[in-house]
Amino acid sequence: MTMFPLAPQAALAAGVLGALSLGLMRRPPPLALRALALASIVGAMLLAVGLPADAYSSPILLTDAKSIGWQYLIYLGALPLAYWLDGEDDVLTALFLGAVLGMSLLASAANLAMMFIALEFMSLPAYLLVARSRRGDRALEAAIKYFFAGGVAGALFMLGLALYYADTHGLAASAALSPLGQAGATLMAAAALFKLGAFPLNWWLPDVYEASAPEVSGFLSTAMKSAAVLFLMRLCELAPEAAFIAWLPAIGALTALTGAVMALRQERLQRLFAYSSISNAGLLIIGVGAWAVSGRSTEGVSALLFFLGAYAFMSNGTFAFIKYSGCETRAQLKGRGAAMPAAAAAFTILLFALGGIPPTGGFMAKLLLLWRAVDASLLWPAAAGALSALISLAYYLGMIRDLWFEKADQSVSFKPGAGAVLVIACAAGIVLLGAAPWLMSSLAGGLVR
Amino acid sequence: MSHPLTILWAAPLAGAAVCAFLGARARYAALAFSALFAGLAGALVLTLLANPALSVVNELGPVWAYGISYRLSADSLSIGLIALTAFLNLICVAASWELDVPAAYWACFLALASALTGVFLARDLFLFYVFWEATLVPMFFIIGLWGSSNRLHAAVKFFLFTFAGSVFMLLALLALVSAHHRATGVWTWDLAALDASALGAAAPLVFWGLVLGFAVKIPMIPLHTWLPDAHTEAPAAGSVMLAGVMLKMGVYGLLRIALPLFPELSFSALPILGGLAAFSTIYGALCAMAQTDLKRMIAYSSIAHLGFCLLGVLSRTSQGLVGGTLQLVNHGLTTGALFLMVGFLYERTHKRGLSDFGDLASRAPYLAFFFGFSTLASIGLPGLNGFVGEFMALSGALSVLPILAFAGVLGVTLAAAYALPAFQAVFWAPAGPGSVSAQVADLNLRERAVLWTLTGLMLWIGLAPMPWLAFFEPALRGLVR
Repeated sequence: MTMFPLAPQAALAAGVLGALSLGLMRRPPPLALRALALASIVGAMLLAVGLPADAYSSPILLTDAKSIGWQYLIYLGALPLAYWLDGEDDVLTALFLGAVLGMSLLASAANLAMMFIALEFMSLPAYLLVARSRRGDRALEAAIKYFFAGGVAGALFMLGLALYYADTHGLAASAALSPLGQAGATLMAAAALFKLGAFPLNWWLPDVYEASAPEVSGFLSTAMKSAAVLFLMRLCELAPEAAFIAWLPAIGALTALTGAVMALRQERLQRLFAYSSISNAGLLIIGVGAWAVSGRSTEGVSALLFFLGAYAFMSNGTFAFIKYSGCETRAQLKGRGAAMPAAAAAFTILLFALGGIPPTGGFMAKLLLLWRAVDASLLWPAAAGALSALISLAYYLGMIRDLWFEKADQSVSFKPGAGAVLVIACAAGIVLLGAAPWLMSSLAGGLVR
Repeated sequence: MSHPLTILWAAPLAGAAVCAFLGARARYAALAFSALFAGLAGALVLTLLANPALSVVNELGPVWAYGISYRLSADSLSIGLIALTAFLNLICVAASWELDVPAAYWACFLALASALTGVFLARDLFLFYVFWEATLVPMFFIIGLWGSSNRLHAAVKFFLFTFAGSVFMLLALLALVSAHHRATGVWTWDLAALDASALGAAAPLVFWGLVLGFAVKIPMIPLHTWLPDAHTEAPAAGSVMLAGVMLKMGVYGLLRIALPLFPELSFSALPILGGLAAFSTIYGALCAMAQTDLKRMIAYSSIAHLGFCLLGVLSRTSQGLVGGTLQLVNHGLTTGALFLMVGFLYERTHKRGLSDFGDLASRAPYLAFFFGFSTLASIGLPGLNGFVGEFMALSGALSVLPILAFAGVLGVTLAAAYALPAFQAVFWAPAGPGSVSAQVADLNLRERAVLWTLTGLMLWIGLAPMPWLAFFEPALRGLVR
């Protein structure tokens, strides 16, 4: 039996409609929305497993190895938010599933116009998700900022698309580009870099990640980032001769370094991890650059897949700890090791992983990505990436020190809850990825081959 | 038991896991697993003695992409250092027996022993790097959780410094493996299969990248600044493992990786590296002379002692290599004993300044005896272990670059100039007004047993060094120039 090639997206669309329908009831059953969100995401993931690669290709949408691999990443990154979602708010659930659907469509988009539609489909619910995730002016302000930044990115993409179309008279891949087409490709790449939070287009990102609810920040930093990486990769494929490709390693190096340095002095945890996320995006851009300049090898794709997969665990796990522990600042981390040993131990593992310490998956991820850069003779970007990892270790270690070596300044009340399970699951996942990396890489390798 | 080497590093790790779940009774499990680990290491030593040509290799084919494989092997150099690890680990457990510490303390020490064993066993460079980094994590917690007043700063500094060195090491290893792949089309991290010829013009860069990683660990001046803080702030047993085994990782890395892969480059770098090593012996001694904290003084003396090891090893003569390697063991024993005794003093008085004590010899004669004995061993008194190692290392250096040996001899002299006055101030000089000597009870039976073991070995190596030298010689033969 051949499966309908867009079955995962259909499952998500059904989820959106289901959430809105449940909202019509006067009092929807309390667990129904949460179960619906979880079922849609898990269902989409299971349906993606059944999809054979290269099963479907049309001028608008396709399913190839990358689109399936990235769908896994997107669903994996989205799963924790489905778990955390407020079971009362049907609109929030619908927005969340809509954003995931947009990302999923972006992963499967075959031409530039469809990419634009998917980009907006993914972004518009995300703005509202940020605004609605937390009460208060700051979330609203952040959402408006996010909206404007996203609007600029969309406008850049549209303009680039117009220039590209004027040059090539098409919306699909083209080898030779005139200066007009080059300008178009550069503008479209700028939109992707905007979404990724690349230097210097990332002023909006720390504000958004800080003001959102932690679990929403985790979702944005994993699922959204995965989608944006594939978006950039597709652009590199569509315009292999584009001039911007040669700049990607340098942009990535600058992003990785500035992110790491800016995170050093942050006191608020969500802001700190926002900069840490920028730094990791820099590494990813180096990886995309290395992949694009060295013949777009399958090794490059699997290195990016591995990094994003590991990052889905690391980033979601850290934001889950912030949510679970109620810690907002670094000072509040003090003494948490004694107060909540299991969750703090899991968080410690995640911090070591983010710092790139073996034998965790975080180390393997950084190693594979930087190795691609070394192999592509991008020595300076690789060295900058390694340096950013070293700088970032200063604040990861600092947080571990606060957790375990310091006494609490004041007692912070927290409600023990099931959230610790999520932190521990993410830590277990990242350890498994490090101890048995072939599990993921054989999966990834089987997909891209 | 087809994988004896796997069991060797897995046993202490299993012990760490068991300890973590035992709570208050963890110390018994720690003792049992440390004894088991020491027994396994001892059995391996005996096997090797019975069959000197033995070379155990345990491997599981290529386990992952890029030629990364699980490959362990043990020759006399590895086994000797593992035996030192197991012995000092057992000593540390015995010395900390009465401390009021949670289960995690014991788990950290066993995890550290496991990672160190892995470093000495790994013959796959990727595996080597993983174990190398894994040693940092337990030591970070040992310093940060159970260290003295300035431990927070020292723990982070220790981790960052050594990690910075390893990053360069990793980049060098990546370049080496990638170059080998470009030249032969084969991905491999196997130390025996790799050679530096494929690197071409990049070879010096890779060599210095490796050396940087190892030099931070040794530590070689000017990369030593993490050491005084880490050693001073760590708990006594932590200092023993740091000085006794972790510093040895750097010299081991040179012997195992940098020298065999880059025989010519490492010899042409002798004036620079040997010069820094000789300078370390003098500078370390001068710094030690200026210290008012007993533990900090011993920490600086470590820098000087490792300088001697390096001089011998870098000379690439037979006596230099063997002497330098034996000096690694010697330093582990003598400095370990000294750190333990400062720890015993600190447990009793919470002081360790030179001026906090006086006239201790009359109050604590056992302590005075062991401290004096270890001090004499540390400054190289003939008949004790330090003399053998230093003499051979210096004579090796003398035959290659005499000026280095002269500088080293100056270092030996300076060692007496800081160690003896310190001993005098603490044990013989009349107690000053702020002295806490009155609170010092002499060593109890357990502490004496620990120190008898250590000093007995110092005397044994000093009087009959030949079997020890002959033990290490086969593994180092290939490095002689």
